[in-house]
Amino acid sequence: MHYNWDWGVFFHSTGIGSEIYLDWFVKGLGWTIALSLAGWVIALLLGTVLGVMRTLPGKVLPRIAAVYVEIFRNIPLLVQLFVWYFIVPDLLPEGLQTWFKQDLNPATSAFISVVLCLGLFTAARVCEQVRTGIQALPKGQTNAAYALGLRIPQIYKEVLLPQAFRIIIPPLTSEFLNIFKNSSVASLIGLMELLAQTKQTAEFTANLFEAFTLATIIYFVLNMGLMLFMRWVEKRVRVPGLIALGGK
Amino acid sequence: MISIKNVSKWYGDFQVLTDCTTEVSKGEVVVVCGPSGSGKSTLIKCVNGLEPFQSGDIIVDGISVGSPKTDLPKLRSRVGMVFQHFELFPHLSITDNLALAQIKVLGRKEDEAKKKGLALLDRVGLSAHAAKFPGQLSGGQQQRVAIARALAMDPIAMLFDEPTSALDPEMINEVLDVMVQLAHEGMTMMCVTHEMGFARKVANRVIFMDKGAIVEDANKDEFFGSPRSERAQAFLSKILQH
Ligand SMILES: Nc1ncnc2c1ncn2[C@@H]1O[C@H](COP(=O)(O)OP(=O)(O)OP(=O)(O)O)[C@@H](O)[C@H]1O
Ligand SMILES: [Mg+2]
Repeated sequence: MHYNWDWGVFFHSTGIGSEIYLDWFVKGLGWTIALSLAGWVIALLLGTVLGVMRTLPGKVLPRIAAVYVEIFRNIPLLVQLFVWYFIVPDLLPEGLQTWFKQDLNPATSAFISVVLCLGLFTAARVCEQVRTGIQALPKGQTNAAYALGLRIPQIYKEVLLPQAFRIIIPPLTSEFLNIFKNSSVASLIGLMELLAQTKQTAEFTANLFEAFTLATIIYFVLNMGLMLFMRWVEKRVRVPGLIALGGK
Repeated sequence: MISIKNVSKWYGDFQVLTDCTTEVSKGEVVVVCGPSGSGKSTLIKCVNGLEPFQSGDIIVDGISVGSPKTDLPKLRSRVGMVFQHFELFPHLSITDNLALAQIKVLGRKEDEAKKKGLALLDRVGLSAHAAKFPGQLSGGQQQRVAIARALAMDPIAMLFDEPTSALDPEMINEVLDVMVQLAHEGMTMMCVTHEMGFARKVANRVIFMDKGAIVEDANKDEFFGSPRSERAQAFLSKILQH
């Protein structure tokens, strides 16, 4: 196969104002990061609440969290996105509906749908990690905390979660990376994140290989950056004298 | 101070405690012993409501542990407990281990709590280790910190569940010394332990449990002199052999 690589293509004008193709990638990257970070905040908060619920005494709350996980983990992400984007807005009360469908910029309403979708989907996965982390701690830790007179919210906040999170940093890191990959579903409802911009550049310029190579490099650098960041977090919270928490 | 009245407990069909009745008065040291699986840990955990029981009641300082109206966390904050595996919080420094419940449960100011913690750490001979983490201490040191952590709450009584049985032999005495000192200071103590030397030295009474029941509840001298039940005799001769 003979292919004329032309890396200069990214600096060609797109024909829209003074925009060059590289600008599309920058914009796309911006959306990808915004989607992923916003989704991750929801996933981490909701996932932690659900993970705690799964380990609480009693029957009702653990059951609710378990049902949530079953639903959100087993329905394909794309199906969930279409539900959030096409079906849920129709179920909203009148005022909210017109606001979402007409007043909002289409990119913004797509953004909201994708963030909710990614956040709630990933929350189910974070929930299971948090639950595993809590259950890996020796039962005696909870007993010792109870024996000191701490109440259940304090026990989770001061004793169980700080230890559980340290244990689950590695699997949480991969969930964090996954949300960046999954954010590309946004391109299917017309949100111009990184993958969508890449496809568009490829179509406009016919420099398909250059466009996808650049996208690959960007995703790779993003991943490496996140991984290094999480390693740094892991090191920062490492407890002296402790090789592996939990177990026993 | 602690009054256990006809307590029975089941795990499903399996009865762990059978009609246990005994009393620990103020300033008294009571040692609980018995074979593995006889329900010693379960009984002592019932005293501060860590384990629920189905019948009977336990009264601690006038408060019923079994009553659903009792504020259990509040009651627990007044009764110290020391565990076999220390159960210090590994992610907190020794100082923070000592201060956490003082601040969160008793509402003490941080500097006040830390000062109190340091004083108790000094008392168990570990003030040089305040800034370390539990994983950096030996088992004996961790257990002494655990005792200090319980004492920091100014407990009205202390419960011990085999505090030395997870320790290497050379560390047992440093922990027992702290417990003996506590006993001499008049602390009310209920100790599950097989350290008969400790029992001989400071116990007022010895309770012997077997298969979930209190088989023998006797004055120390009576217990070591002439245990009434055969099972207690057999247990004693086995444990005193080595
Ligand atoms: N959660 C539980 N479910 C069912 N059975 C239990 C449970 N916890 C304890 N048991 C049983 O209850 C009995 C008493 O246990 P307990 O831990 O109180 O004994 P122990 O006298 O403290 O023994 P050891 O000297 O080994 O610590 C044992 O037969 C044990 O198997
Ligand atoms: Mg036991």
